[in-house]
Amino acid sequence: MALADLVMARTPPSTRRASAWLLQGLAVAAALGALALVAVTTLENLRARGLPLGLDFLVERAGFSVAETVLPFSPEDIALWAIAVGVVNTLFVSAIVCVGSTGLGLLLGIARLSENPLVARLAQVWVEGVRNTPPILLLIFIYTLWSQALPPEAVLQLGPATLTMRGLTVPALNAAGQATLTPELATILLGLTLYTTGFVAEIVRGGIQSVPRGQWEAARALGLGYAQTLHLVIIPQTLRAILPPMTSQYINIVKNSTLALAVGYTDFLTIMGTLINTSSHAVEGTLIIVAVYLAINLSISAALNLYNRRVALRER
Amino acid sequence: MTDASRMIAPVRRPSWLPTGLIRLVDTPLNATLTLLVAAVLVWAVPPLARWAVFDAAVLPATPETCRAAAGACWSFVIAKHSQILFGIYPLDERWRPALVCLGLLALLAWSVRPSAWRPRLGVIWLVMLLAIQILMGGGVLGLTPVPTAEWGGLPVTLILTVVAIGGGFPLAVLLALGRRSDLPAIRTLCTVFVEATRALPLLSILFIASIMLPLMVPEALLPDKLMRALIALLLFAAAYMAEVIRGGLQAVPKGQYEAAAALGLGYWRTQRLVVLPQAIAISIPALTNTIIVMIKNTSLVLVVGLFDLISSGKAALADPAWSSPAIETYVFISAIYFVLCFGFGRFAEAMERRNKASRP
Repeated sequence: MALADLVMARTPPSTRRASAWLLQGLAVAAALGALALVAVTTLENLRARGLPLGLDFLVERAGFSVAETVLPFSPEDIALWAIAVGVVNTLFVSAIVCVGSTGLGLLLGIARLSENPLVARLAQVWVEGVRNTPPILLLIFIYTLWSQALPPEAVLQLGPATLTMRGLTVPALNAAGQATLTPELATILLGLTLYTTGFVAEIVRGGIQSVPRGQWEAARALGLGYAQTLHLVIIPQTLRAILPPMTSQYINIVKNSTLALAVGYTDFLTIMGTLINTSSHAVEGTLIIVAVYLAINLSISAALNLYNRRVALRER
Repeated sequence: MTDASRMIAPVRRPSWLPTGLIRLVDTPLNATLTLLVAAVLVWAVPPLARWAVFDAAVLPATPETCRAAAGACWSFVIAKHSQILFGIYPLDERWRPALVCLGLLALLAWSVRPSAWRPRLGVIWLVMLLAIQILMGGGVLGLTPVPTAEWGGLPVTLILTVVAIGGGFPLAVLLALGRRSDLPAIRTLCTVFVEATRALPLLSILFIASIMLPLMVPEALLPDKLMRALIALLLFAAAYMAEVIRGGLQAVPKGQYEAAAALGLGYWRTQRLVVLPQAIAISIPALTNTIIVMIKNTSLVLVVGLFDLISSGKAALADPAWSSPAIETYVFISAIYFVLCFGFGRFAEAMERRNKASRP
């Protein structure tokens, strides 16, 4: 029996309150003590290795190049700009995967509930496949497939687009007159979308199944067809049930976008890794990594919670 | 029979046809979908089957068999399966990691049965961990010592998963209780830890652990690469499991707390004897999900240079005698992960059903 039990059960309330404060004080002191110990050791280690603390490195020349960026970037730019470029790369990948997997997941979730056994089975194979294998394996797999299926000289013409080993080139209106989707970017986009779609489909399926049967029957009684029933009656009600789990899926997408590292697409974490290696500012770099992911993920959950409050059922 | 009653009566179907088959074509939408899917299957399945089965190289498991075949090179997987599964672990000693894998799987399967939740489960886990250390590391009982740098493949994947789950569990229970505590300081500490850990990608946590631990910890106490990854995974698993257990705690009716208070039980005895047994039983299905997520997550340790299943597969591919059949190797590794995760999920589901059925 724990000592706290004795204290809590057999003592008058005032003593109990005092012991509660004591317990909290001890916990806070332990946490602060551990933190202080870590801080002292870290400072000691940094001094021993001649590494100064400070944020000056952020305005110095970055000195490394990045293969592929959404924003313009050169090694002459300052490190702070490199970080911004990394954040935008991460947000760019995450945004496309969010949109793609939401749309595909909605279709797949409906397919999973289809009366047609062939469609339902195929959808189930997809869902079980991605839920039971690591996403990093899927990415490595797609990347290998890409490089094995396309020998270096092969050129595939897909309408206006050209598919080669070096990427998918689409004529566009930018400076070079064309836009190239590199294998690295294509792999992370395709792989994460395929992966997340399986999870979104399960959320959508759960949401649709949470709508009472009476709603389907009422829609049928009104003479609505299957597509109309889904679009006008079921989906709007499903939205309420699926928003909270979708929020955590979107946050998962941002977190999974770090897998870009495995296929060689440069995201925020990769840039921070390079920056820490070149500048030796590990402590500051770590704090920036934590701050950026916290900021992105807390914003997503705040934004979706706001939206959730708007679509939530107002019961009178 | 009047016309009206015919209209309402369901269309009579030939009883010898299963409903599944009828559903393939019973409405225009279903018929169109069936045609579409069938077209895709006819387009995709024959070439895949030719590659994977009919044109594939199997036995004898030599590079020549593969060079002669047009399809998949399964000979490579057959020849290298031991290296993919166990990495660079000494050849003659591979029965040890094999035994460890079986033991870990049995331990996991044993632990998700609600009837196993007794105090002795903790003892079983401690004994198992000790046995793993002795079997893998050697150095005692006449076993050849094998340093952790030579551990690799499936045992590393399973050790990381199981130890992170098992070690993270007690911490998760404390965190969940702390987040629901009346004491504001403790509640805040626990909430900050859980939320911050859940907001960070695991890869960044592993990365931070690998660059920051050497700075944060005195040289003498610095853990090796495997331990660093293990600590990061353990804290990560604890944060996720804490949320699952918190959900279970919230599902325990308030009357249970009040009844415990009426019996004169203190906080810890209330939790240990009344609340936690119910809360954990409620959370077991969600906990098995977390375990599956953790099995998949351990694959990320390859990024910090640990030798897990994927890295040992990559290492096997580097053999110049073979034409590096990467696709086949990754299919093999995916199949192992799939069997582990899917099998474990199904097993846990069956346990849950049996548990429900046996309850009055």
